Amino acid sequence: MNSSKPSLKQKFTAWLENASMLDDAMEKDLAKGSDLKAQENEKAVYEAWEQRQKNRHDTAVQEEHALYERIHHWTMTGGAKTATILYRLFCIFVCLAVTAFMLMMVLDMPAYGNANSPVNNEVSARYIEKGMEETGAVNIVAGMILDYRAFDTLGESTVLFIAACAVLTLLRIDLNRHGLPTEELIAAEADDRHHEPKDDVILQRSAALLVPIILLFGIYIIFNGHLSPGGGFSGGAIIGAGMILYLNAFGFKATGKIMNFRVFTVITFCSLMFYGLAKTYSFFTGANHLHSIISPGIPGNIFSAGLILPLNIAVGMVVACTMYVFYALFRKGGM
Amino acid sequence: MLDWLRFILTAVLLVGGITVMCISMYGVYRFKFVLNRMHVAAMGDTMGLFITLLGLSFSAPDFTTVIKFFLIVCFLWIASPVASHLIARLEVTLNDHLEDEMEVLK
Repeated sequence: MNSSKPSLKQKFTAWLENASMLDDAMEKDLAKGSDLKAQENEKAVYEAWEQRQKNRHDTAVQEEHALYERIHHWTMTGGAKTATILYRLFCIFVCLAVTAFMLMMVLDMPAYGNANSPVNNEVSARYIEKGMEETGAVNIVAGMILDYRAFDTLGESTVLFIAACAVLTLLRIDLNRHGLPTEELIAAEADDRHHEPKDDVILQRSAALLVPIILLFGIYIIFNGHLSPGGGFSGGAIIGAGMILYLNAFGFKATGKIMNFRVFTVITFCSLMFYGLAKTYSFFTGANHLHSIISPGIPGNIFSAGLILPLNIAVGMVVACTMYVFYALFRKGGM
Repeated sequence: MLDWLRFILTAVLLVGGITVMCISMYGVYRFKFVLNRMHVAAMGDTMGLFITLLGLSFSAPDFTTVIKFFLIVCFLWIASPVASHLIARLEVTLNDHLEDEMEVLK
């Protein structure tokens, strides 16, 4: 056994001897001292090389300077004039071409108010005549986008969510693998509002006055979406804008208490999931003529129009969170 | 008679508001420095909008609409000057050649 394979101890001693051999060699080299002549030779070679580099650099700088002078001279006199004239001519040409093209397209459209034009087909007539009866929404647009074409709106909300995820992947600055902030993150924290006024009293007072009103107005628009113009998208955008104003006035510390990546993920996921499930149920029962627990209610009441109100709330939450996350990521790369 | 009076008031004030807006738009291109342009831009948001909405409120169908116009004016009169203030502060902080553009009191 010992003869075929060296034991661990043998290996170790062999390694130690090897190491000591290397040490001996190094000590010998040091004791002998380096060759002075070789050193001088090396120095001369290095100096020659340095001189060559310097010459090349100087020539390059001179050439570049000459080129810059020539171009600069040309742009200041002939070039600028020519370029400006060409640019203006091109602009006029593009404007005229686009205008002519648009007018030609308008000529091809059906006459305004023509009963036979493809816009006035039976679909829009049905929406207008039976929309309120079937969906229970006074606002026909809300009935259309959240009832007849609800899956289209689910797609739109999902697009917002995916866009937020993509921006998050690209712009978020993570902690390093030990859970400590990286240099990039520290730089981003320092750079954030480096030039901007911090703790501006005027902004803070006006934000304290305006933000509650803005948030209330956004909630009103979402909750009244089936009764008056508005709905999830516009109300959510208003709420997001209010949150951004609050963030600008009071900084990330104040908003970080209620809004972080985890909250964003949970809210968006729950909203989209609820939307998909609720609408699937509604479409399933509707298509199979089953009894549905969702009733249109009395049109005009705040709790009416079946699913439109909860769906508006879901869409509004997704939109508000997405707007806020976009702003935070583009500003600092985090929240 | 009253209808005509309301119409004339509305028309005059609307034209006045649009004139202020046009002047502010012209001024944004006419002036060179940020602080001057900021002043002109804020003028359109506050005065032009106020005169326009005052004119519209004379021909409003009911009093609720007038209250809504009033709330819009209140909101913009708070928001627009604050925005201008922030722009001015940022400009003063960032512009190194401020003394060349204007007289700076220290």
